[in-house]
Amino acid sequence: MAISGLLFWALRWSEFDLGVLVSSGPRFSEFFARLVPPDWSVTTLVLKSAIETLMIALAGTALAVVFSLPVGFLAASNVSPPWIAQPMKLLLGLIRSVPLIVVAMLFVSAVGLGPFPGMLAIAFHSIGMLGKFYAEEFETADPGILEAVSGTGATKGQTLRYGLLPQSIPQVVAFTVYRLEMNFRDAAVLGLVGAGGIGYYIQLYVRGFQYERVAVLLTVIVVMVVALDNMTFWIRKWVR
Amino acid sequence: MNATLDPAIRLRDVHLLFGRTLALDLEHLEMRAGERVFVLGHSGSGKTTLSRLIKGRLKPSTGTVRVFGNDPTAKDSRRETQRRIAMIDQEYFLVPRLDVVDNVLHGCLGRVSPWRSYLGWYPGEEWEKAESILEEVELGGLGYRRVETLSGGQRQRTAIARALMQDADIIVADEPVSALDPELAEDALELLVECVARRGITLIVNLHQPELARRFATRFVGLANGRLVYDGSPDGFTKQHAELVYRAQPKGEMRDEQPETGTPPTASGSDLRLVGD
Repeated sequence: MAISGLLFWALRWSEFDLGVLVSSGPRFSEFFARLVPPDWSVTTLVLKSAIETLMIALAGTALAVVFSLPVGFLAASNVSPPWIAQPMKLLLGLIRSVPLIVVAMLFVSAVGLGPFPGMLAIAFHSIGMLGKFYAEEFETADPGILEAVSGTGATKGQTLRYGLLPQSIPQVVAFTVYRLEMNFRDAAVLGLVGAGGIGYYIQLYVRGFQYERVAVLLTVIVVMVVALDNMTFWIRKWVR
Repeated sequence: MNATLDPAIRLRDVHLLFGRTLALDLEHLEMRAGERVFVLGHSGSGKTTLSRLIKGRLKPSTGTVRVFGNDPTAKDSRRETQRRIAMIDQEYFLVPRLDVVDNVLHGCLGRVSPWRSYLGWYPGEEWEKAESILEEVELGGLGYRRVETLSGGQRQRTAIARALMQDADIIVADEPVSALDPELAEDALELLVECVARRGITLIVNLHQPELARRFATRFVGLANGRLVYDGSPDGFTKQHAELVYRAQPKGEMRDEQPETGTPPTASGSDLRLVGD
């Protein structure tokens, strides 16, 4: 009851109007009609910027992993004392709650236009999620195994390296490649704020009503997302 | 370490409370280097608690535990103390997704340089040692199998190999064969005792079955409701003693009154009020 009330209110707030949706049908079909034939002359340009987007996502994710692993250890309650783990979790929550586009705009104004601020924004935003996921994964580690490894006289670091990481690696890899997929899609819109990649052309072609070129953009993005999706599937399968 | 004079392990006036339950109440217990002590008792009799105290995983509520004269829970000497006391847990706690030989090599983590080992490098002599121990526990050729593909008996021997790899002076085994069927259990115990005897390591084994223990022990310790009810040679362990050990009251309602099984030979009896308060 309360939920349906809330949903109703949400629809009202979003100015949901079925009439408008139906009456704008012709405009949608016009849009789709103008996608063909695609203007393949821009393929090289689009491909180059799409690869830049992919590189932003890859580098950003890698940078995020470098920071998220230690942060994950600090935020895991079975590794760190509560007075470190709790504030760490809070900090990660704060990082996650800043929208990516805001982060990107801040980095653009700090380091200038181009892919570099985009990569930094992706990395910063990803730490919030990866750090949390890693910490939660570390917390599921079997305490008996940690005790057994530490009981050999291993230092704390050795216990994490040999007792904890082997247990957590498959999930850590799965989260990371999943985040990479998300980062590629996120990075595609970063160009809107001048942070490099394919987003610049999305803005250019859509705002300029060059739908034949938008068709090329969409084709390239879809192909790359599907390819990435397949690649990450095999990576997850490989690391078990 | 002078094996004949100083006891390897000494417990004095040890009480251990879990909440309001007195889990262990030992006035005095010593074990000498080279002994093979089999600790008998019900589940909940305090066997595991005793082994965890010796390993330094638990601190007594009152009293002292000394292993080679040191407090096994002391932070400053932790690495060395832990290395000297190996533990084989009931569930083995091998690290999954790793090969047998990796798990065995964990036994040397207490003596190799931490920084080198972060990169997965072990000195060559440790590799040789691991391989010879694998041969010794009849796991030669299985070194590169993942531990989760092993049978129960093979896992058990991997756990033994890891403990031997530690070059420990004491091995504490908590119900090491309870997951195996009787024949395998006997073989596994025999293997453990042979390896330990070859090295002169002190062995403490928690076991349910006195008949099995008789074959391997140099000494029996019987626990019931956290108290010492027998401490002596396996030959002296009679039917009456077995009754004392195995007909003890179940945990939870114990403590405040003396059990009807008679006065335990060495129980302190002085701190019964600890629980009632």
